[in-house]
Amino acid sequence: MTDLSLTARREALHRDAPEAVAPINLAALLRRIPIGVYSSIGLIAGWAVVSEMHLVPALFLPSPITVLQQFIVVATDGFSNATLAQHAGTSLFRVLFAFAIAASVGIPLGLAMGVNRWVRGVFDPPISFYWPIPPLAYLPLIIIWLGIGEAAKIALITLAMLAPIVVNAQAGVRSVLEGRIQAALSLGASRRQVFFHVIARGALPEILTGLRIAVGFGWGTLVAAELVAATRGLGFMTLSAAQFLVTEVVFVGIFSIAALAMLCLAAIRLLERLLTPWKGKD
Amino acid sequence: MTLAIEHGSVTYPGKDQATVQALADVTLEIQEGGPVVALGASGCGKTSLLNVMAGFLPLTGGSATFDGRPITGPGRDRGVVFQKDTLYPWLNVRDNVAFGLRLQGLKAAARHARAADLLELVELGDFAIAAPHQLSGGMRQRVGLARALATDPKVLLMDEPFGALDSLTRESMQELLVDIWARTRKTIFFITHAIEEALFLGTEIVVMSPRPGRIVRRYSLDFVHRFAADGDAAAVRSDPRFIALREEIRTLIHDTGRRRHDRPQLDRAA
Repeated sequence: MTDLSLTARREALHRDAPEAVAPINLAALLRRIPIGVYSSIGLIAGWAVVSEMHLVPALFLPSPITVLQQFIVVATDGFSNATLAQHAGTSLFRVLFAFAIAASVGIPLGLAMGVNRWVRGVFDPPISFYWPIPPLAYLPLIIIWLGIGEAAKIALITLAMLAPIVVNAQAGVRSVLEGRIQAALSLGASRRQVFFHVIARGALPEILTGLRIAVGFGWGTLVAAELVAATRGLGFMTLSAAQFLVTEVVFVGIFSIAALAMLCLAAIRLLERLLTPWKGKD
Repeated sequence: MTLAIEHGSVTYPGKDQATVQALADVTLEIQEGGPVVALGASGCGKTSLLNVMAGFLPLTGGSATFDGRPITGPGRDRGVVFQKDTLYPWLNVRDNVAFGLRLQGLKAAARHARAADLLELVELGDFAIAAPHQLSGGMRQRVGLARALATDPKVLLMDEPFGALDSLTRESMQELLVDIWARTRKTIFFITHAIEEALFLGTEIVVMSPRPGRIVRRYSLDFVHRFAADGDAAAVRSDPRFIALREEIRTLIHDTGRRRHDRPQLDRAA
């Protein structure tokens, strides 16, 4: 065996050897944690310091620990005649039910407005008119029309969600590349096939953007909807806690709404990743 | 198969009440046989010409017929390969190729078999379940070619399909296209602004000139037959006759372009 092959073998041995265990680099580990985690910890720590040192009366700013304790109390014993889970369930039902209506009306309507100038001509004025109005402003009208029951609450949230869904679905149609439609036509597609195979599919990224915006609007409108004659729901719980000056429960309500809203957004983000993996790489 | 444009013109309103003549009195007949290539600088109306043939653009004068019947819109008998990538990003490569077959209602198994054959033809056999955005530009254009071939059109209209590719990819795509043409004998109408590409691919070249878009010269060539026979691309591209024609056409395009529009443009800039 020549020297050359020996060297080669030694190199091969080195290559096959398991990598030396690197010493744990704390600084590198800390750098990998997102900045948002640090800033959140900082905020909570600041909150704890301010409240524990009684710089602000507990009525205005209860400490994180008492909020956590109240969270457990509300979760087990309940507040305003229902447990936290029941309040959350009612609110989640309202938002999801309204979301289902808004999506099943808004997506087809927006797509139709995108492809047909008559549909666009009929529906564009009312939607552009009501979209910028804050839902609280037309809440009184909805109460006159639908009363103070569940229908009014769901109608309010549905209306808040409908406009962004319609507008984005319509924009989605416009975003479909002309060449993709021409390609389908020259492959023998009928108008109907172009609509379902190319336009509706091509509009999907914008449709999902609309759904994401709508979910944000929906949770934002929930509290307004639960302002009126509700007996259950996170918005109602938060408002009645505020009326009794139980600030800890107000915090519990706010954090619960935030958690559910973030969960819904995460679900739609997941849907976007699954359904439109090409987004941004197109 | 006969695709015929007779005295075809396309005029559309431009700025300041002027009309722009994209196509002026163009007469061109495409018969079964070797690739016909339309060559010219940008704005010479070659894409308008292809769009008329595909049925995307109506003529404002003259007639466009396919097998004797007027062209009124796009159809399955005329396959189109586009300049820009028009694949459907929500479908994988195989389903993109089989898209036209799916529109016809073909069963999945038959579609997949046909798509697999075509992907072999364009040398993408291993990429059936890849997503379009995972492919390079040249690979995507090959998928586009396979998609257009899938429905077995009578003629293939290719709108500068290799225009966005780097020059090396471009040459190998040209060679692949000749190979496919030699095997399928599909009639091809090909548009390009690259003179060498036109010389390499066309048995007939029509040189076009802008403002208004018209045909200024026609050539009949046989380089494509030579390459199809012996596969020696370098020999074709370095053939003295190839080089001489390249220079002749370059001068022709430069001269017709300059005479028509250089002065007014300078005036406008000043």
